[in-house]
Amino acid sequence: MSVLGRLFRREDLHSLAAPYALDALDPDERRRFEKHLSGCDACTAEVRLLSEDAVRLAWSTAAPPPFAMRDRVMSAVRATPQESPGNSPAYAPGRAAEAPRRKSHQLPAHVWGTEPPPRTRRAPRMRPIFAPLATLTAAAALVVAALFGVQYTQTQDKLDTAQAEAREIADVLSAPDARATADRDARGQGITAIASASEGRAVVTLSGYGQLPSDRVHQLWLMRPDVQPRSLGLFKGDTPLVVTGLDKSSTSLAVTVEPDGGSEQPTSAPVVQLALESVGFGE
Amino acid sequence: MPKVTVTSVMERGGAVCGHREGTRVGADELLVLVAGGDQKAFEELYGIVSGPVFGLVRRVVRDPAQSEEVSQEVLLELWRSAARFDPGKGSALSWILTLAHRRAVDRVRSARAAGEREQREAQRSHRPAFDHVAEEVEAGMEREWVRRCLDRLTNLQRQSVTLAYYDGYTYREVAERLSLPLGTVKTRMRDGLTRLRECLGGVA
Repeated sequence: MSVLGRLFRREDLHSLAAPYALDALDPDERRRFEKHLSGCDACTAEVRLLSEDAVRLAWSTAAPPPFAMRDRVMSAVRATPQESPGNSPAYAPGRAAEAPRRKSHQLPAHVWGTEPPPRTRRAPRMRPIFAPLATLTAAAALVVAALFGVQYTQTQDKLDTAQAEAREIADVLSAPDARATADRDARGQGITAIASASEGRAVVTLSGYGQLPSDRVHQLWLMRPDVQPRSLGLFKGDTPLVVTGLDKSSTSLAVTVEPDGGSEQPTSAPVVQLALESVGFGE
Repeated sequence: MPKVTVTSVMERGGAVCGHREGTRVGADELLVLVAGGDQKAFEELYGIVSGPVFGLVRRVVRDPAQSEEVSQEVLLELWRSAARFDPGKGSALSWILTLAHRRAVDRVRSARAAGEREQREAQRSHRPAFDHVAEEVEAGMEREWVRRCLDRLTNLQRQSVTLAYYDGYTYREVAERLSLPLGTVKTRMRDGLTRLRECLGGVA
């Protein structure tokens, strides 16, 4: 490409800053522009400014969400491990308890218009069984390329996968009969399931078992009376497993340690088992 | 209904994009705590951001059930990836709303591709882009103020900006709808955003 051509292309890319800030690029262009951004400090600064402008358009749109959304999100949060902080600012675990808390009535009024926020009364009491589940654990697969994170190195594929996973999880959570159950021991090892009996689906999280040797894997099984266990999939680190096709006869879930790649049938005793009766299964 | 004067709105408008207020720090601090696995902090953050997130998503997605779904995804994503927030690069609220907007736009585009919205689109195309705000239940002062500032833009600036931001169209689609060359739409978007900044942020 000629020098002029390159310059033109550059100029052309640069003019995408405003559409980018408005999320008005198609995926290909978005990718191309983000690649361009990673090598252009001036563009990054401009994009940040224009994005702050775009966010102003959101000021006027606030609306109270359905009340039930809160419980669903909080249930999901309790069952969902976080990404490793990685390159985030250093964080001292002790700070959580000491840091001053702002009450929610101090929220920025402008985001509400004249409408009062949904009150936080009836904040769901955290049952001890759930409390330690969402610990600060190793990296989960979910990634975000939100603008100010400037994660330009993320590939779109990875992002798509992560989004699809998040959507699957959110789907289960938004089922009207979604309920949570968990089983944990004193050391904090355990299993959590958020399940919808009507949809036959569940999001299952395993936590506290640490790293297995590289040739071993945690496999999830569906247990039904008088039937061989059915494999529901392999856990990848702390990523929740979304399982489908659960029917009324599903009495419990079990997890075994299997050779890498999984087994046809369990080859060892379960490390943990979880009854599904309380979430609407079993007969 | 709390009384809100135009002056206070202006001050708040200035405050949020400036560096002198306290409210923004709340969400920023909370998000850092959330990144450390603090569920209580997340509950508080939920109290602050769930309304703005849900409102923005609903504005773009329209369908209430889908809006709820997307909002839940966004909030869960917030929990999972709070560690990615870098306070040095902008406010927590901006970061969160940027994420919410991206997800809402992704959803509305796939819905559009699936043709679900064709009918409503056809009806809507006869009206100016900003008119659908009217269907919102609450017409707060902030809404009024943003609207007033949008009114100060030229027609093409306003339409370019709102068709993209509120309706989730790509700039190519915007160009097509407005029968304008691509370059013109890109410029109108930039000028529109800059003027909005002057009107909303430059008043303090």
